[in-house]
Amino acid sequence: MSDEAAPRQSFTDKHRKVLLGFLAVAMFIAAWQAAFLFVPFNKLFISKPDLIWNALIDLIVSGDLLRDLAVSAAPFLYGFSAAVIVGVPLGVVMGWRAPVRYTLDPIMTIFYASPLVALAPLVIVFFGVGVSGKAIIIFVLSVFPFIFNAQAGVRAIDPLLINVVRSLGGSERDLYLKVLIPGVLPYIVAGARIAVGRGLIGILVGEFFAASEGIGYAIARFGDLFALDKMFACILAIMVIAVVLTEGIRWAERAAFPWRVGQ
Amino acid sequence: MTDTRALKANIAAASDLDAPARSLWHRLEPPILGISGILVLLLLWEALPRIITMNAGTKLFFTTPSQIVGTLWRLFSTGAIWTPLGVSASGFALGLALAIVVGIPLGVLIGRSRTLNAMLDPFVTAFNATPRLVFLPLVMLWFGLGLWTKVVIVFVGAVFPLLINTYEGVRNADKTLINVVRSFGASEWDVARLVVVPNAMPYIIAGLRLAIGRAVLGVVVAEFFGSESGLGVMMVQAAGRYQVDVVFSGLIVFAALSLAMTALVQMLEARLSRWRPQQAGGE
Amino acid sequence: MQAYIQGRNVNLTFRPPNRGPVRALQNFDIDIGEGEFLSIVGPSGCGKSTFLNVLLGLIRPDSGDIRMDGKPLAGPGTDRAMVFQEFGLLPWRTVQHNVELGLELKGMAGEARRQVSQPLIEMIGLAGFEGHFPHELSGGMKQRVGLARALATDPNVLLMDEPFAALDAQTRDLMQVELLRIWQTAKKTVLFVTHQIDEAIYLSDRVMVMTKRPGRAKKIFKIDLPRPRDYEMRVTPEFNELKLEIWNELKDEITV
Repeated sequence: MSDEAAPRQSFTDKHRKVLLGFLAVAMFIAAWQAAFLFVPFNKLFISKPDLIWNALIDLIVSGDLLRDLAVSAAPFLYGFSAAVIVGVPLGVVMGWRAPVRYTLDPIMTIFYASPLVALAPLVIVFFGVGVSGKAIIIFVLSVFPFIFNAQAGVRAIDPLLINVVRSLGGSERDLYLKVLIPGVLPYIVAGARIAVGRGLIGILVGEFFAASEGIGYAIARFGDLFALDKMFACILAIMVIAVVLTEGIRWAERAAFPWRVGQ
Repeated sequence: MTDTRALKANIAAASDLDAPARSLWHRLEPPILGISGILVLLLLWEALPRIITMNAGTKLFFTTPSQIVGTLWRLFSTGAIWTPLGVSASGFALGLALAIVVGIPLGVLIGRSRTLNAMLDPFVTAFNATPRLVFLPLVMLWFGLGLWTKVVIVFVGAVFPLLINTYEGVRNADKTLINVVRSFGASEWDVARLVVVPNAMPYIIAGLRLAIGRAVLGVVVAEFFGSESGLGVMMVQAAGRYQVDVVFSGLIVFAALSLAMTALVQMLEARLSRWRPQQAGGE
Repeated sequence: MQAYIQGRNVNLTFRPPNRGPVRALQNFDIDIGEGEFLSIVGPSGCGKSTFLNVLLGLIRPDSGDIRMDGKPLAGPGTDRAMVFQEFGLLPWRTVQHNVELGLELKGMAGEARRQVSQPLIEMIGLAGFEGHFPHELSGGMKQRVGLARALATDPNVLLMDEPFAALDAQTRDLMQVELLRIWQTAKKTVLFVTHQIDEAIYLSDRVMVMTKRPGRAKKIFKIDLPRPRDYEMRVTPEFNELKLEIWNELKDEITV
């Protein structure tokens, strides 16, 4: 009448997805390395996993990689923080007060729909190739996800909840703390996830243009020098950072807001 | 079902923080405020140089809406814009088409096969999170400064939203419906045709919208650094010559391209969505 | 003599990933006569829906012998059709195209399909709704479409998996009357799974009570009420006696 004793799930069954992922990556690297047993290797054109690995170690040990990343990180942080400080309150106000929303939404939509990256050359020419120019580009690119997401978060708040808190004798402050902020927070964090991607584009655009330092500049420079192994190493570094940031935020979203099925 | 919607609407109306009266003004308020907002912004912008005195440096950079409109008109009437626009548009179209042709079928495959999904997931995640721009120098090294660099960058940008959204749509297929169709003797191909793809359509359309935005970005960015011709190249050169009005004109043209494509997609979506219950959407 | 549908010693165990195995059916036997209306009642999870899916051909049992008209089952076929609890209509197709689904899969051409679907749509009382989409229909209407779809391929056997469970009580009662009306005309063999004893007695020639999981046939009741059945029969003493007997068999199997 009762079920048979459940057979123990083997390790491979439980972690199937992750293991397959590892396997795929390993196969890819192995295939890439082995390809040059059959195809002539032109180091001016492409690189190999072992060379890339060596270049990566070199760059880390010599401190070059960290220095370049640090140089790029500064304007990113400034621009990103400015985007949060400006974007979130603006988005909240737009979500909260309809007249503000009606007035500003068309303008915001037009901005969001235009490839604002196209203004990057102007910004660089005007502000120069320093931190401020890059920071402004990053700000312009990453502010809109915050504006729109904060707005969406406020508008998604169930009016019923507001009535509940009011009917229980809550003050404006209670409304903010108990309903508004917990309601909006998941949206803002999701907006941050999107904004990170756009901000990274901002750094690269700024640095590709005419920078003299930074990770983007490093990639371009290595390309000019045909140092493919170092170039791949830098690209890999950026990929890792991008993934860590994006997936990290996603993970934090799941942990902090388990009731939200992510965007 | 309609009752719950009406009930919710009533609650929303009753507790709407702004609670305007349901009058003519209420219906006209959004577009009036919206248009006024834009007009005010444009007027301020236009008036700024007349109100404030700027130093010579800033003055060099400043342009006004009227100048931009004038330049746009000039570009179009003299025909100077058509060649660069054509180059950009073809890069955009080609890259987007490739992304559709590769991304959607691949998304379906990954959606149906858990093994394939598990194996490709690390790559998709990594490439999706990384700004495509980081590959530009490499792509330039491989493909030079011509059309193909553009196409590749556009492709890499646009393929992932399509892939991921198609995958989500396929995964979301109603198991009951699949069983229903199987019970009438459907083959795997029938199942895909009858259930999986129609169900995934809204997701694919959403992915297409995202892909268009990324494709436009791709063209702009590829042309800034990695091209000999195109609208973006025209903009970069203009920036170097302090022709700010040309830069803005280019931006407007790109934005118009993006909006036009998005409108097309929305029309397509409307045609394909007649079977869906109309949501009582917000504004 | 062999019954029209015959199952002997059917065993089925589910092995979901990350959980222990679940024995759905154990030594399950069943006999269904041609043209008979047989209901199965049983506690949740006892395997009744599973057996329907086995008969439909969507799941293969681990062991046991199932024959229809003397021949063993081999996958889904147009001689059987199912009506689903959640209706299972393709939301992106109109009523007419939903009804024609099975015919399409059989390879029938458009005009020929229409010849079949049109009278069916009229029979279920939805004439004029051919071009509507499922979201425009009420629950009862959707289920009628599901019924028409099942009948369209002219199957010998109708498998009905708690088809009225998603409807409100009043619609449910009306649908039961409808179902009997259609069944009298169409003369199909029906295997009907339900939780509701009332419904089972009202509709069927025989009612089978299943044990809790793993499911076996516990007891079979013959329903001797005359046909055609009308609503008044539901309040007769015979009806209530049957109901009590079946309930007594069933209640031991239910754990709250």
